[in-house]
Amino acid sequence: MANLKSRFNLRDFGANLWEGWNRQTRVTFTLVLIGLVALLPFAASWGPTSFLNTPITSFENVLVYPVGMFVLMALGLNIVVGKSGLLDLGYVAFFAIGAYTQAIMSTTLGWNTWEVLPFGIAFAMVAGVMLGLPALRLRGDYLAIITLGFGEIIRIVALNLKITKGPDGIPGIPNPPAILGLDFSLENPSHYFWLVLGMILLVIWMIRRFTIRRPGRAWEAIRQDEDVASLMGVNTLIYKLWSFVIGGAVGGAAGVLYASKTMVISPDMFKFEVSILILGCVVFGGIGNIWGVVVGASILAYLPERIRFISDARQLVFGAVLILMMNLRPDGLLPRKKREKLTKRGSL
Amino acid sequence: MSEKVLELKQVTIKFGGVTALDSVDFHVNRGEICALIGPNGAGKTTVFNVITGVYPATSGEILFKEKSILGLKKHQVTKTGLARTFQNVRLFGEMTALDNVIVATDVHKRTGLVRALFGTPLNRREERSGSERAHELLKLVGIDHRSDQLAKNLPYGDQRRLEIARALGTEPEVLLLDEPAAGFNPAEKVELADLIKKIRDTGYTILLIEHDMSLIMGISDRVVVLDFGQKIADDLPTIVQNDPRVIEAYLGVPADAS
Ligand SMILES: Nc1ncnc2c1ncn2[C@@H]1O[C@H](COP(=O)(O)OP(=O)(O)OP(=O)(O)O)[C@@H](O)[C@H]1O
Ligand SMILES: [Mg+2]
Repeated sequence: MANLKSRFNLRDFGANLWEGWNRQTRVTFTLVLIGLVALLPFAASWGPTSFLNTPITSFENVLVYPVGMFVLMALGLNIVVGKSGLLDLGYVAFFAIGAYTQAIMSTTLGWNTWEVLPFGIAFAMVAGVMLGLPALRLRGDYLAIITLGFGEIIRIVALNLKITKGPDGIPGIPNPPAILGLDFSLENPSHYFWLVLGMILLVIWMIRRFTIRRPGRAWEAIRQDEDVASLMGVNTLIYKLWSFVIGGAVGGAAGVLYASKTMVISPDMFKFEVSILILGCVVFGGIGNIWGVVVGASILAYLPERIRFISDARQLVFGAVLILMMNLRPDGLLPRKKREKLTKRGSL
Repeated sequence: MSEKVLELKQVTIKFGGVTALDSVDFHVNRGEICALIGPNGAGKTTVFNVITGVYPATSGEILFKEKSILGLKKHQVTKTGLARTFQNVRLFGEMTALDNVIVATDVHKRTGLVRALFGTPLNRREERSGSERAHELLKLVGIDHRSDQLAKNLPYGDQRRLEIARALGTEPEVLLLDEPAAGFNPAEKVELADLIKKIRDTGYTILLIEHDMSLIMGISDRVVVLDFGQKIADDLPTIVQNDPRVIEAYLGVPADAS
């Protein structure tokens, strides 16, 4: 088994291929890849790829939610869990904060999605600081439990406040106004997909920047040995807090968008299961590896929709896939790349 | 006149009932190699831990360049100019040798997360100089050819050297080495002794914990001896070597009884 693994490794294969290309080839490849992904909404109606089509829910909508949203949130959670190694079991809280910010501000103040977006992100970040400052002094299991509690608290608060309209939730959230030639009416789910895709690309760009520079090194050091990291001068609390806050910001942004797409939100959309599912996406794909997380989240979000026609057996198949996966590839589909090559760029 | 760069005053630290350090008083002069020796469990590593802020002292005072560093956080102590290695190698195993050192060089950088995101000119310059400095240090300890390997895959001896390079990456004034030659054969020990001297001659002050007497006699300017958490000698190597109390501590019998 171990032998088999060392013979072929998709991640290393990909990395080596990339390594061997010059700048121009890389740019071309990236653009083509992005272009192909952007064409995904048409896949269901094009003969050769029509097998991708989902029954019951429309394929284009599935691409936005859950697929796109899950990829976005999994990338955000990966900054916390994968990069700095902090187990966050309440990630859905940030998503909820973003969603409620959009719901409340748009229905009461009449602001549009783009005006609310910075606030949704900012509130999620503030929540990250408020949770992080006390919680990040704890480690491991204790941190996991506190974050779990935090996720539940946010939901329960939403369930009980007047401004969030309790269990009924908030209806009548407006769609985003048109921007950059994209028109966000409900007949155009593909436009939402392109928007989410843009946000995903932005987050990936951000993570890649961090990873090869000081923050990435600090997180990596913290993940491997927090005490030694601080003895080598890393301000561990600040960097852990940053990972929390940035992860929260991504969750908040996803929430704002989600609320303006579904137009109605209620507390039961932000249950503990969502946190676990997102965490599942991260683990399934390969903790710490951006591409692993993207692929993992896409599969885990898409699969249940694709097999919806078998109704009840659906969850069973889903569970079986997870178990199979954990046995065959315990580190995820595309495990974390060790930092062997990353320094090359810094060492110019 | 020699300047006291690091000074412990009446430092006591208790772990429950165990007094690991009992009113320990000693200092390190700038530019010297000061050895800290003593039998197993004497409290040597505890001295490092209390200096670097791992444990708070129960009482006493620690001065670094005449300022108290007691109560500072671990990363703050490092930033003031003290860095250490570990008795049991504790590298960031999944990072390259080079990255292990760059993490340390990050201490004095001015750009953090935000400027890293936007890649400001200062950030780029700092990233480049950090990596250049790391290569220099790997060269200094003689393992630059390993810079792209994961730390956990280095041979044991190189891991010890990498620990030294990493500590130097924080640009310390005083370097604390905890048994850097543990597990080395005699030839390797000689090489290491040369390296330590070379590092001192580059302008660092060194506090060295070591068990090997010949290594200590060869390179140290002064020797401090601990036994059961108390300082029992503090003098030139040749004098300490013949101190009856030191011989007793090491052999467990009074010197004149043998
Ligand atoms: N965190 C701790 N909790 C309780 N006791 C401790 C702790 N750290 C050290 N001690 C005790 O303090 C004493 C000194 O330990 P220390 O590790 O400093 O010895 P040392 O001189 O470095 O020995 P060695 O040569 O074996 O490394 C020992 O009795 C040890 O058991
Ligand atoms: Mg020790």
